Formats: sequence, C-alpha cells, structure tokens
Amino acid sequence: MSKNKTELDRRQFLKAGTIAIGSLAVVGAGAAYLKSNKKNDIPATNFLRPPGAIDENVFVAECIKCGLCVQICPIQAIKLADVDAGLDYGTPYIEVREQACDFSCDSLQCVETCPTAVLDFKQFKEVGEKAIEEYDAKMQGKQMSKDYNPFKVQIVAMKEQVKMGMAKLNTGTCLAFQGKGYEGTVREDDFQGVNRSPYTNDRKATPVADKKYNEEICDICVKECPIGETAIVMEEIQDGNGNLIKRPKVLDGCTGCGVCVMVCPTEEPSIIVEPVNA
Amino acid sequence: MFNLFKNSKNLKPLPSKSKEEMPHSKLGISYKEWHNGHVDKHKWRNRRWAVLIFINGLFILSFALDLSMLEGSLSGSRLLGFYLMDPYNALQTISISLVQGHFPNLTMNFWIGLVTIVLFYSLVGGRTFCSWLCPYHFIAENLEKLHNYLVKKRRIKEHTYNQSIRYVFWVGFLILAVVTQQLVFEDLNFVGITSRALIYGPGLILIWIFIIMIFEIVYSKRFWCRYVCPVGATYGMIGSVAPLTIKFDLDKCGYCTDCQDVCLVPHELWFVKKGKATKEIHYTGNDCTKCGLCVDICAGEALTYTIRGLDKL
Repeated sequence: MSKNKTELDRRQFLKAGTIAIGSLAVVGAGAAYLKSNKKNDIPATNFLRPPGAIDENVFVAECIKCGLCVQICPIQAIKLADVDAGLDYGTPYIEVREQACDFSCDSLQCVETCPTAVLDFKQFKEVGEKAIEEYDAKMQGKQMSKDYNPFKVQIVAMKEQVKMGMAKLNTGTCLAFQGKGYEGTVREDDFQGVNRSPYTNDRKATPVADKKYNEEICDICVKECPIGETAIVMEEIQDGNGNLIKRPKVLDGCTGCGVCVMVCPTEEPSIIVEPVNA
Repeated sequence: MFNLFKNSKNLKPLPSKSKEEMPHSKLGISYKEWHNGHVDKHKWRNRRWAVLIFINGLFILSFALDLSMLEGSLSGSRLLGFYLMDPYNALQTISISLVQGHFPNLTMNFWIGLVTIVLFYSLVGGRTFCSWLCPYHFIAENLEKLHNYLVKKRRIKEHTYNQSIRYVFWVGFLILAVVTQQLVFEDLNFVGITSRALIYGPGLILIWIFIIMIFEIVYSKRFWCRYVCPVGATYGMIGSVAPLTIKFDLDKCGYCTDCQDVCLVPHELWFVKKGKATKEIHYTGNDCTKCGLCVDICAGEALTYTIRGLDKL
C-alpha cells in the first residue's frame, strides 16, 4: 500500500509540477515581452525617478517596491506606479506637474532611506562631507561664531549633485519668449501642489495655489527654482531692433526637480523635465 | 534536537487508545457530554485578527497620519527606525544584484532588516507571518469558509494538488528574477500587492487579486497560499527550527478531528486521526501557521501553544 501511495504522490507531483513550470514559462514570456516593449510604454516626461536613482535597468531590478521613499517625503512628491507601468508596477516616480521635488526636506531623506540603494546615497554623502571640509577650511577659527552652519553648505552641495533629469523650454508657448508677463495665481484654485519659495524664509513648503505673482516678463520658473542661478536664469539679450529682452535659459546645473514645471502658468507647461534615465 | 528533522510520519503508528484510555472515560462522563461540554471560544482567532488588523492598521496610519511608527510595506519596512525585509524579496534582490554587480551597494539597513526577520521568524515559527500578519490571509481565510459552504452544498467540487509544487514555484520565480533581471514575482506577489494597496491606495493590479480570489472560491481552496506563494514557502523554511509551535498530546485526544476540520493546513494535523499518531507527543510542522484555530476548538485541550524544549521542564 505504501509503495502505491508513494507512486501516486510522485505522479501527482509530476502533474502539478508540469502545470507550475508551464505557468512560470508563461509569466517569464510575458515579462520578457513587457521588458522589450518597455521604452514605448511610459510617457517619459511624467515618469521621473526620485533623486539619486541609479541606472534604470538596475533600478527596476533592485527596487523592492517597499514604499519607504514615498513615506518619508514630507511633500509626498513620490508615488508608486500602478500596473499600467507594466513590469515597473510598484516602483517610485515623481509626476512633476502635480507635485515636484522642491528639496524642502533639506536632507534627501528618500535617498538615505532606500534599503537597496537604488536611490544611492553614497555620492551625496561624499559631496556633502567634502563641502563641509572645504567650508571648515574657509571658516578656520570662526567655528564658534553664530554664522557657522555647515549643514546649510552640506545640503546645498548635496542637492546640486542631484540629476533626475533636465528641464527643457518650449519656446513656442513660453510667455517670456512672447514678451508677456503674468499676473495672478499660476494654477487652478484647488491645486494641491506645494513648494518652498527660495525668496522667502519659509522653513516648510507652502501651497502653490496661494502664491500670487505680478511679473512684467514672466519669470516664475526662475524665481521658484530651488537650485538657483546655476540651474536657470533670465537671460538678457538684444533683439534685432536693439531692445533688451529677457527670457529664461536652462543651464547645466539643472537637477530636474521639476518645480519650474509645476509653477508654469501656461495651460500645458511650457517647460518640461526630460528624465536622464529614459 | 536531531529528532526535529526526522519525519515522524514514517514511523510505525501507535495502537489506537482503548475506551478506558479515552479522555471522557477518565472524567467519568459520556463521549457526547465530553465533546459538547466544550464551547468554541475563538480566543486565539480574535487575538490573531486583532494583531493582524493592528499591524496593518499601523502601516496605514503611519502613512496617512505621518506617524513614523511602522513605515513602508510588507515587502520592506521600518519599525521605529529599525529596518525589516521580506526574506523572499531579499533573496531575489541579492540574486539579481550578484549578477548585475549591485551587491556591494546593498545597504547595511538591508542586511540588518533581513537578519532581524530571519531570526525573529526562526523563533516564533515562519508561517506565523501568514496567519498573524498577511492581509491576504485575512481575506482568504474568510473566503475559505464560503468555499467550504459551497462544497458542502455540492455546488462545486474540491480540487487539490500536490503541495510540494510550492517549491517548484519558489525556485522558478527565483530563476525568472535572475534571467529577466527584474523582480517578476513582486508584480504578482499577493503579500506585497495587498499591503501596498492598503497603505498607498488601490490600483488596477487588484484585478489580479480578484481573479485568484474567485478561482479560490469556486475551484481550489486557498490555491495561492497552498500551492504558489513563495513568500509563505520561505517563511516555512525559516520556521522549520522554530521553538514556538503547536503541541499535540495524544493522551488528551478524543479522536473527534474537529481540529482538522477548522485547520487551514489540515495535512499538518495528520496525527489526530484514530490510529495515525506515531508518538505520544507531536509537534506541527513547517506549513502550520500557528493560527490557533485548533487550540480554540479542541474539546480535550490536547492541542496547545508550546515552546519546544521548554515544555518538558
């Protein structure tokens, strides 16, 4: 009896095992298909990875989709992708038009919290420490004074190291390129996005919908940029008639944080961020 | 200690107890009195559901109210600053990282989280995770009742498979992860999907969960948990050495098999049937989720929670 039972068990296992291997093969083929089609699936401009994201191929393989970066972000800029992102389901991304990363956490904590280092903190730690060293050398002997604040130097160096993407102007729709100004709020009244404006002393991000502007030539993207003059400036040039005209220009220091996209007053943003990974 | 790994199922069964040896005879009452005298009190089920709802609630509230108590999801989390890692997820990550060369970059928090989880569940029993924490288990446990009702009414037939195919899936998904360089299983993982849906809001991915839920109701009981889920299989392996387990005392057993009827993994209670037990004391194995349903229902208190090694003192 026992022998028959073992034989039955063995046959049952073989049958079930064949089904298992068959379904695994289907899953594998599906995954391979989705992977080969991946690049076309995702609208690149709203699928920006959080700061410090490593090479996309390694990123999607090593991200365990735990959501710790989502939790720690004080302005909830990071979201987890749904299944319409295919195999990238559950991976974090930033939709900058809805909520850009404005660095108001002052510490890149999403990067620091990542357990598998697909958001790699090492590079930021290094530049941060280096910045403090340089600052200390400069401040030699003044360490006890009130002005001594190495953390400010550290975070500036760290956020300048971020390279999520690169902003790109649409010169056809940009108000400044048409010589237009802007008055009023930039987004609809119920817009949920927040940012910390660099021209204020706010410690926390404040709602974009509350901010009123009155610009002769629209320069809101330049005003709100958390990085400053290394990333975007108002360029002054002479036009054909010898008039001085002003318009925004994106520089190499752009981190791709997307605040400019969020605050752009045109219906379709006249500035977009192209992810470095896409 | 070495007996732990010996399969007592293959030993020669002890002879069935005589009428005098039965627990009701010892108490001097009829079998019916003895059996009906016990009220199913749901003590452990209520405790377990409370823990499950509390932990998952803590995840939800930590995100919703920014509590910073238990952040992340069941794939990877942080409890008051200490990281915790899902072991199967971590195993896939490690395998892929070895191929891709990302391995040295894995953070210390990752390793601390993994070791903490492995140590913890090797003490309290691996699949304890399933019945005490997994949000899908909570759903499936209740769907199972619906399924049982339909089987009883003869609306549907029961379909069972060999449970060892779980290990085929376990190896298979690991290979798939390495071959495709993608955490393929995480796109199908019931634990991760339900946990993320609860915390970060539902998504279309839940369609996948509903398909299997319907399959489990109308075709095969607990299909995902029993035959597929490699997360549960990993926890089972970790828990195979766990001291905390369910103890069966043959002396107190009245052969009613009520426990097997309520058990979520009835094959683990093979020794409760008349003439099956091979030893006076049996412990449940890897697949036991330590849910306590059998402890609640047992009329003779033959089944109890125990800490192996300490119970003989």
